[in-house]
Amino acid sequence: MSTSSLPAHDNMASTRPKDYLYAWLDDRIGLDAILALAREKVVPEHRYSFWYYWGGLSLFFFVVQVVSGILLLLYYRPGPEAYDSVRIITYEIEFGWLIRSAHSWSANLMVFCVFVHMFSVFFMKAYRPPREFGWWTGLALLGMTMVFGFSGYLLPMDELAYFATKIGLEIPKTMPGMAPIIENLVQGGPEVTGITIARFFALHVVVLPLVFIGVLTVHLALVVFHGNAVPPSEAEKPASERHTIPFFPNFFMKDLAMWLIALNVLALLASVYPWQLGPPADPLAAAPVGIHPEWYFMSQFQALKVFGRILPGAAGEFAGIGMFSIGGLLWALIPLYDRDSKLARRARIATWFGLLAVIGLIGLTVMGYWEVYGAAGH
Amino acid sequence: MNYPAWEVPIIGGGWVIGIIAIIHVLISHFAIGGGFYLPLAERKALREGREDWLEVLRGHSKFFLILTAVFGAMTGVGIWFAIGLAHPEATSTLIRNFVFAWAIEWTFFIMEITAAAVYYYTWGRVSNRLHLAIGWVYAATAWMSLFVINGILTFMLTPGPSWLGVAGSGNEASMFWQAFFNPTMWPSLLLRTLICFSLAGLWAFVTASRIDSYARPELKTEVMRWSALWLIPSFVLLPVGFLWYLWNVPASQLDLLRLGISTIGQGTFTQVTRMALVTIMTSATIAVIVYLLAWRNPGDFGFGHAVALLLLALAATASTEYSREMLRKPYVIGHHMYSSGVRTLEVDRINREGYLVKTIWARPEERRLWDAANPARSGEAAGAAHLARGELMFRGQCMSCHTVDGYRAMRTLMKGRDHESIGGFLKSLRDYPEDLIYRAYMPPLVGRPEEIGALQDYLDVMLNRDTAAHAVAQSIP
Repeated sequence: MSTSSLPAHDNMASTRPKDYLYAWLDDRIGLDAILALAREKVVPEHRYSFWYYWGGLSLFFFVVQVVSGILLLLYYRPGPEAYDSVRIITYEIEFGWLIRSAHSWSANLMVFCVFVHMFSVFFMKAYRPPREFGWWTGLALLGMTMVFGFSGYLLPMDELAYFATKIGLEIPKTMPGMAPIIENLVQGGPEVTGITIARFFALHVVVLPLVFIGVLTVHLALVVFHGNAVPPSEAEKPASERHTIPFFPNFFMKDLAMWLIALNVLALLASVYPWQLGPPADPLAAAPVGIHPEWYFMSQFQALKVFGRILPGAAGEFAGIGMFSIGGLLWALIPLYDRDSKLARRARIATWFGLLAVIGLIGLTVMGYWEVYGAAGH
Repeated sequence: MNYPAWEVPIIGGGWVIGIIAIIHVLISHFAIGGGFYLPLAERKALREGREDWLEVLRGHSKFFLILTAVFGAMTGVGIWFAIGLAHPEATSTLIRNFVFAWAIEWTFFIMEITAAAVYYYTWGRVSNRLHLAIGWVYAATAWMSLFVINGILTFMLTPGPSWLGVAGSGNEASMFWQAFFNPTMWPSLLLRTLICFSLAGLWAFVTASRIDSYARPELKTEVMRWSALWLIPSFVLLPVGFLWYLWNVPASQLDLLRLGISTIGQGTFTQVTRMALVTIMTSATIAVIVYLLAWRNPGDFGFGHAVALLLLALAATASTEYSREMLRKPYVIGHHMYSSGVRTLEVDRINREGYLVKTIWARPEERRLWDAANPARSGEAAGAAHLARGELMFRGQCMSCHTVDGYRAMRTLMKGRDHESIGGFLKSLRDYPEDLIYRAYMPPLVGRPEEIGALQDYLDVMLNRDTAAHAVAQSIP
């Protein structure tokens, strides 16, 4: 790279603005080297390639979250004025409804994409050595995404947000020794109040983003370092039958197309179903009939209800939480169990475990919604 | 007014038409654009002696035949079946005015599907020249069926002053040609023809994407790029066609669009504007993806990309058709019939004589209980009859656009209104003053004051079940 203050690139001789700009950037940030690295990196091309896009889609929605979140921050006021500030954002600020809808919808879409990404990684066995840390950082990102969702849900402090949060916090309180921790650390008192909003707000816009971006950087660095894993059925093929495409520009163009489609889906949802604001929370009022958590917590919520019917009292909730905790732990440890395709029995058991998890999550979620809306006749 | 009301829970009758129509447009417009794509591609292949192209086209024509002749025809019939149920008054008016146009359209349609079948089954069995000629016969008849249907559809938005001048006189059919060649007929025909060409290219990607990139890279690149070119006329001329179309739409119908644009910042009254923006965004995305993948990297273009583009086209079609339908509001036939099925010329008479005066959907003993002079009018039976009267008003004048709990839900839209507030709202709809903001998309409420009162009580019971009983009791002297 030139040390001169003037651009020293060959293209500087060109009169085309594009060439000049490229040369100017290359001299300063080594664009040639970056693009050479991007062209050198290849992405496997096979019948399951579709599943490679979901990590990128999750990232895209996270970027939307950051941008729309910053815009919401300009008007949102945590504490007792929370509801009023969201009302102003939704109904008075120009395009506030759109920004808020985009933020809420992209949060849901991000959770959905992260789940799809996790299961696609699982079923492609992309957690096997040497990609264990990719799996663990990914799980950490999923956990944080869900906490993002939970903490953000309360911030408008409308009726639904208040009671859904209240019920959500009641669940861990049933665990021995957890009630004081939840009340002192999370709620800031025995009830969900303006203090809780302030704590959730700090968690949502400061603590979580800082930790999330750090873990995300490690996760992405690991993906670049190890490259994309191929599913076992592809890995078994002879080299002559395996295909790859350059990351840049081929895969990048396809990724860009997927991002554009994702943007359309988001715009469609935000335009057709703008996020509404319910009546302000009234802690003295009874919880609305059929109150339930967001869809990504519905399976856990339903599991507690099911266990509660089998084992009355705290034992049921304890069993439900225990099942999810043990299941989650086994899920996290799967790279240590299913390490190699040569261990065929373990590979099969892991696949069955994954199928059980998918069926369990979807089944409990559907059952939960059916009990709230279907059977109850709402 | 005595047609049965079609109750479709959750989505409403309008969306039954909408769902069928959106799928139909996506397929039927491909049937027309693809009708030009096939003979033009075949001619190119024959001139250049490209057997590999002919092989691809043969596969494409099979896909084309199955999709258009089966699903296109089924959804086409489905639309008219659904519209007959959801808007019987409007359908009746259309049939009375355009029965011969429909007969002509059916003639073209039969020729079209016959030619499509003959085209597919004669690959390699007749001379190239004759096969190509069959392709052109298909293209011409398919486009003519669009020509005829487009005239009828655009009539619903802009019947034109000549037809409106004789509307209600019994001589409406004397203005058949003026109604057919109505103000928006030509711009709409241009827009739809352009969309047909775009969809021909997009659907061709389904076939082209399945060409093996590794075995036949050059063939895939050529077919993909040639198909991509079919989108260019639309993206160049659509804005012009759209402005021409809007130029011919009456100012009164643009009110909703103007209202939406002026209030887009607050997000109120902006449904049609938001949907129009979805059309622009999805169309632009299609253009970018076609350029990035189909044109720049045709080898990487897979079947999933073709499906994704079609889904975007589906979203664009849905939002466009929705916006077009909304432009007609508050009418179902511009300035002649409101979306409630009430003719503009009948409003004063109905307000004077009553909306339910000739209804056949109430039993005689029930009708007797509506009569204020009836000495037996008191008690539970009278209350039930009164609410049944309100329900008939609701079914007749609200349900063609609203559902109770689903799409445009009454429970959501009227939430928080008590008996008095419901009454105030209904009164404003019946008075229908010039400055009423709802005039942009809602028809006037018609009927005698006691009928409006029955509707008020019926809505009150629907919305405020716990407190409404007292109000209903008060309404019955």
